[in-house]
Amino acid sequence: MQLSTSEISELIKNRIKDFSSSSEARTQGTVVSVTDGIVRIHGLSNVMSGEMIEFPGNTFGLALNLERDSVGAVVLGDYEHITEGDTCKCTGKILEVPVGPELLGRVVDALGMPIDGKGPIKTKLTDKIEKVAPGVIDRQSVSQPVQTGLKSVDSMVPIGRGQRELIIGDRQTGKTAVAVDAIINQKGQDMKCVYVAIGQKASTIMNVVKKLEENGAMEYTTVVSASASDSAALQFLAPYAGCTMGEFYRDRGEDALIVYDDLTKQAIAYRQISLLLRRPPGREAYPGDVFYIHSRLLERAARVNAEYVDKFTKGKVKGKTGSLTALPVIETAAGDVSAFVPTNVISITDGQIFLESDLFNAGIRPAINAGISVSRVGGAAQTKVIKKLGGGVRLALAQYRELAAFAQFASDLDEATRKQLDRGRMFTELMKQAQYAPLTVSNMAVTLLTANNGYFDDVPTEKVLAFEGALHGFMSSKYKKVMDDIESSLELSEDNEKKVVKAIEDFKATSTY
Amino acid sequence: MAEISTIARPYASALFNLAKEKKCLDEWSKMLDLLSNIVLDPQAKTFISDSKILDSEREKVILELCKGKIDQNIENFIKLLIENKRLLVLPDIAKFYQELKDEDEGVVEAQIIVAEKPTQKIVDDLIKSLEKRFNKKIEGKVEINKSILGGTKIIVGDTVIDASVRGQLDNLAYKLKA
Repeated sequence: MQLSTSEISELIKNRIKDFSSSSEARTQGTVVSVTDGIVRIHGLSNVMSGEMIEFPGNTFGLALNLERDSVGAVVLGDYEHITEGDTCKCTGKILEVPVGPELLGRVVDALGMPIDGKGPIKTKLTDKIEKVAPGVIDRQSVSQPVQTGLKSVDSMVPIGRGQRELIIGDRQTGKTAVAVDAIINQKGQDMKCVYVAIGQKASTIMNVVKKLEENGAMEYTTVVSASASDSAALQFLAPYAGCTMGEFYRDRGEDALIVYDDLTKQAIAYRQISLLLRRPPGREAYPGDVFYIHSRLLERAARVNAEYVDKFTKGKVKGKTGSLTALPVIETAAGDVSAFVPTNVISITDGQIFLESDLFNAGIRPAINAGISVSRVGGAAQTKVIKKLGGGVRLALAQYRELAAFAQFASDLDEATRKQLDRGRMFTELMKQAQYAPLTVSNMAVTLLTANNGYFDDVPTEKVLAFEGALHGFMSSKYKKVMDDIESSLELSEDNEKKVVKAIEDFKATSTY
Repeated sequence: MAEISTIARPYASALFNLAKEKKCLDEWSKMLDLLSNIVLDPQAKTFISDSKILDSEREKVILELCKGKIDQNIENFIKLLIENKRLLVLPDIAKFYQELKDEDEGVVEAQIIVAEKPTQKIVDDLIKSLEKRFNKKIEGKVEINKSILGGTKIIVGDTVIDASVRGQLDNLAYKLKA
């Protein structure tokens, strides 16, 4: 994209016109040491905690430690050109990032600057990256669903708008895949998405962006990237920046989904900053406030009531609630959930999706462990049809796990046990789902109804998914009206249930798979 | 350095309190200036930090250097610094001492940076308005620096009042880039 000459000079003219040439009084200080991105400054007697500090060469820093003799600041970006003796100034401002719908479809860094080579982003507004979460009065309980399009998540660990659902698991267990699938499934659901990549390889981030683009999800998504090569300060700030971008929609009565991938890396970046600032290390060398960095971030994901939105927009948006749903990701080491950061985030969030490498390697993908994955508030938000049909899945899987452990030693089993085992095996198989292939509510309902009514029982386990795929195709071609009806009402009326059951019988009698 | 100022503060405040009791603030200030000039000398620096030299020798040399120019208390002070191996902190102690003294007397030093040599009247007016703003007696120090192009830049302690052409151009450049 090229800017026309007039556009540029017009821009400059306006800026010069608005420029006030008054003298400014600011507090200044002298850099006394620069170490690994941490600058110690003498002076700056009026500096505030979290204030931006201006260094020579248009570089900014963040004042984090206010001590008796010095101020400890972390430089945002390159710090090679800052030397001992440089003067720096207070700006009197807390760090802000651009917000607004203009950011959709773009990839930005932790400070909101575009890094996708698509030219400048013409946002009209900026907002502070550190804000206090909405209070008790401003909130409303979670009651609307976020459809992830994953059978296992939507039926067993439903997520509601405004909920914080943790995705936790070892490396290579498909944590990002679950989050990305959830974003892809938001197409046409009136949901804006923010994907915050923290401390990941730039190539991985690029792959995610490419996948989002291929599936048409970038239209409603902003990607905030603080890759592994960015400074620790930017990796620490990226989630807050992304959250501010998401809050823009929440506060204006819209719904947004934010993925923090992953918060372990953010904690590590914060540990680095804290240790370099010489704050006392605690457990696992994390500083004392590592709980707080996550709790204050995740507390900002909330569902706010209509009064809050009304007040925030000064009456422009009436009668609409807003929400920001957070899907934080935590990487565990060797399945150890009792490490410091995982326990912290588990206790903060409203439930967790637990992914296991054993399941992943056994080909069960998404590798969700149904036993310890929970959603504490999502049940209230689950769509009626899935709630009605999905209740049995969890139970069947739980009983299966229990029996499977015993059945290993038994040679011949009674009929009831064998049946239960078969059923469990079938459900395990049925919960498998390919990546980037989210299911609609109606398709999911058909699958669950088929399973509940025992129509899968005579299907060989390895054919279950093929059967399901063929059935979905059959339903959408022959029973489109019923499917559309379920999709729009999100309910299963008795009449429709009968029609679907008849359709399934019809399919079994006539089709091959 | 930050750590050095932490070390220097207790020495400076001890000296200051004693000087105030003895009513010899100005004299000691001059002595401290002299001593910090000695310490800042590169040759003296190597001498002070040379671990082969005994403390007693160091003490003898330094006291010899400023013989007749310092009184008994300052002599004791130097001995204490040598004993604690803090002689190199002396310039910072002197600076803190000066700050404490200025604060006590209600005097602040203002650095007035201008591009062209100003008339005495302008400087006087400036100091008068600065005194009104900071509510303290201002000791003006005029410095001529062509690089600010025009206007003035005033530095009082940590506060900088930038009304220079250079500062405004920098601001404009920043606004245009943002």
